[in-house]
Amino acid sequence: MALTRRQFLKVAATSTVGAVAFVACSTPQDEFLIQSPVKMPEDLVAGADNWYASVCRQCPAGCGTIVRVMEGRAKKIEGNPLHPINRGKLCARGQAGLQALYHPDRLRGPRRRVGERGSGQFEEISWDEGLSLLLSRLKELQGKGQADTLLMVTDPVDGHLALLVKRFLRAFGGQHLVYEPMEPTTLTTSLQRTFGQDLIPHFDLENTQFLLSFGADFLETWLSPVAYGVGYGQFRQGNRRRGTLVVVSPRFSTTAASADEWIPIKPGTEGVLALSLAYVILSQGLASPQVAQAMTGGAGVGALESFRPEAASTITGIPARDITRLARDFAQQRPSLAIGGGPAAAQSNGLFNLSAVFALNFLVESVGQRGGVLNNPSPAIPDVGPASYNSLADWVGLEERLRTGQPRPVNLLLTRNANPVYGLPSQFASALSRVPYIVSFSSFMDETTAKADLILPGHVYLEEWGNSVPNPGPGFETIGWQQPVVNPVGDTRSFPDVLLALAQGLGGETERALPWSTFRDMLWEGAKSLHQRGSVRAADFESFWIGLLQRGGWWDTTARGGQQTTKAPVLPREPRLPSFSGEGDFHLILFPSISLGDGRGAHLPWLQGTPDPLTTVAWQTWVEMNAQSAQKMGLQEGDVLAVESPVGVVEALLYLHPAIPPGVVAMPMGQGHDAYGRYAQGRGANPLSLISLPKDSDNGSLAWAATRVRIRKTGQRVKLAKLEGFVTPTQLPGTEIVPEAQVTR
Amino acid sequence: MRWLLPALGVVIVFVLLGGAIFGLSGRLGAAPEQPVAFPHDVHVKGVGLDCTFCHRTATTGDAAGIPSVEQCMFCHRVVGQGNPEIEKVRQAGQNQSPIDWIKVHRLPDSVHFTHAPHIRAGVACATCHGQVEGMKQARQVRDLRMGDCVSCHRQNNATTDCAACHY
Repeated sequence: MALTRRQFLKVAATSTVGAVAFVACSTPQDEFLIQSPVKMPEDLVAGADNWYASVCRQCPAGCGTIVRVMEGRAKKIEGNPLHPINRGKLCARGQAGLQALYHPDRLRGPRRRVGERGSGQFEEISWDEGLSLLLSRLKELQGKGQADTLLMVTDPVDGHLALLVKRFLRAFGGQHLVYEPMEPTTLTTSLQRTFGQDLIPHFDLENTQFLLSFGADFLETWLSPVAYGVGYGQFRQGNRRRGTLVVVSPRFSTTAASADEWIPIKPGTEGVLALSLAYVILSQGLASPQVAQAMTGGAGVGALESFRPEAASTITGIPARDITRLARDFAQQRPSLAIGGGPAAAQSNGLFNLSAVFALNFLVESVGQRGGVLNNPSPAIPDVGPASYNSLADWVGLEERLRTGQPRPVNLLLTRNANPVYGLPSQFASALSRVPYIVSFSSFMDETTAKADLILPGHVYLEEWGNSVPNPGPGFETIGWQQPVVNPVGDTRSFPDVLLALAQGLGGETERALPWSTFRDMLWEGAKSLHQRGSVRAADFESFWIGLLQRGGWWDTTARGGQQTTKAPVLPREPRLPSFSGEGDFHLILFPSISLGDGRGAHLPWLQGTPDPLTTVAWQTWVEMNAQSAQKMGLQEGDVLAVESPVGVVEALLYLHPAIPPGVVAMPMGQGHDAYGRYAQGRGANPLSLISLPKDSDNGSLAWAATRVRIRKTGQRVKLAKLEGFVTPTQLPGTEIVPEAQVTR
Repeated sequence: MRWLLPALGVVIVFVLLGGAIFGLSGRLGAAPEQPVAFPHDVHVKGVGLDCTFCHRTATTGDAAGIPSVEQCMFCHRVVGQGNPEIEKVRQAGQNQSPIDWIKVHRLPDSVHFTHAPHIRAGVACATCHGQVEGMKQARQVRDLRMGDCVSCHRQNNATTDCAACHY
């Protein structure tokens, strides 16, 4: 229909558009609302801000935060400048904690399932009712002598909360499993074997000269990225000589993009490369004779004959001269440091890979040295340690237990902020549905909570007490202290407080094991052993407690990890090669999204809208494929591809990547939720559903970088939501834009 | 449709003009009805309360501050039984629920007004807010647009630097 000028004006003047445009000129009525507070604490001044120190719980790293609070509302989260882990910095995930607090889809009160399980039909109930429902279930188990059929599944818990959970289950009975799809058990096992330490050591990136990373994306998601980010800044620009970073990885990650050199490697062969470096170092006499003797079991370099660069070159796909050059640089530019993780660990031979990588540090004598690997001390309060993890092997055991009911069935499942239905292979979801009664303490309706029979929603971390023992720590005793910064937004209760209330309701041994009425009381008592030493000095305990909260934690820089006592390990003589599942043309490497992580950040719109640093894509799931391979297959950007593994198919959009190796495709984790709030639901795909259980693994972890996939075109195309190419590059005087042809070469 | 762009231009000009005329203007004479018919005259003239007894942060903070329900209840737990308006306050105190007052004086978002320095300089509350002790219902008595602010600043040799208020 042709629109004339006269018609347009008529429509504009009378339509809602016109109405809105003109009404918008006056100040909206709610701008004039000014609410009187019910109570007026001394420190609450309208228009003035208060900053409270606390701890970030968006990932297990344990960064210290300070939160800006105005009129009782949290407005901004920043890094705590005093905290030794993150030293005033904070990542996007930490900043987005505000949106978890004020999320429109937060569970705001207890609910009981009324419809079929999984149908999403719940009715609201009171806390008294909810607690007595759960208590009667617990008492029933106790009465029947089935207390050991209780199962508790949580996110990684540390500090006093871990102690509380442990004591509760020891007194009552039952098992605790920690859910973390990116669990570091392969890493911690290899560290244990190499350095003889249960805790992750402090990798002193800050003072090292040559840093060699085997797939450890320490600037993105590996262990404690904010801490490493601060150390990395120092490593590059803070020291007298700029440090050199070399990244060996099958995928071109943000960390690889920041490196001086990125060496693409065939997936799963990182350990062979590390041992080949060892061969060169030993054969060229770049290591001390004592170390050479010890690490070859007295046999000399001949023990590593099968890792000669020429042999390693065919396995790893890296030219022999590059291996030699890298080995010489690594051995000569000391202090040097080798770290490994990510896709190097998520293989059937992950333990072999990481053990070989970490052993390199002994070869260049970096263990226990500045700029190398420093031990972390055992926790400042005995029994109050960092989070422990369960490997996939434990989950496989649980799946069998649920399926067969042997040796004991699970009659009651308590879950808190853990989402195994989303993150674990699909057989777990069906196994979990065999549990007769599921209670969730999560703050959001995630896929696992949707299957619950009773929901007793917990606080978001900004509303509750806690403390954290970071692992890796900064090299000395450190405890972060978490305090509530705002009053609870909804009718929720802190999970530890609920556990204490249950213990009281149960009475008997459970009550005696947990004699505190609130979790704050337990923390208060626990803090007493820290008084009189460390960073908070005060004459009396009352003032010490206030100082502890003001600083957001306690640390003692003099209480460092002991000297290295473990001897250098003997290097293996034969390579252990990876095995992959599937037979497609492409090797699939997954990676945790820098903003969404393994998927737990997908409910926050700020994180959804944060573009991936390399591809600049947001809101979607994409497949990174080499631009030239895609061209050969006749594919274009935005093509919807079906990615097919032996256990599943997911659809995702093609992203043409100039730097990913031709035989490899990569996908970010985090999307593909069918619950978890309006911003996560029905968006993208979950590539974890392509991963099958490991078969001949040496570590029992999920091998999320060991699947070969087929790629099929579906014929649909969707525009990629990316920033790249949106602004035409402009020529600045004196600088030259690198031509695209040169980049993609 | 060559006319479309100019037509949109006209709409935008109207929007901006409308903003200047209606949105940012002061509301001289405005005396909005409050959820509780609070009489300033009774409290100031009758009881003899100082302004800062209720508006606690006027001398120290940016905002003068609205008293908490708890503070009303200091007296009204006892005083004024049976008065239907005071019953509303008591109800709020009992339910621990806030009272949604309506602002009488509102400056545009582009201005950062702070009470404390004005009071430190000896400006009386009444200079801007008028004879509140005589008001049954609080009312805006000054224009409070930029011209008003600047002329007062000039008369008193106060700064007229843009960034003093617009920051």
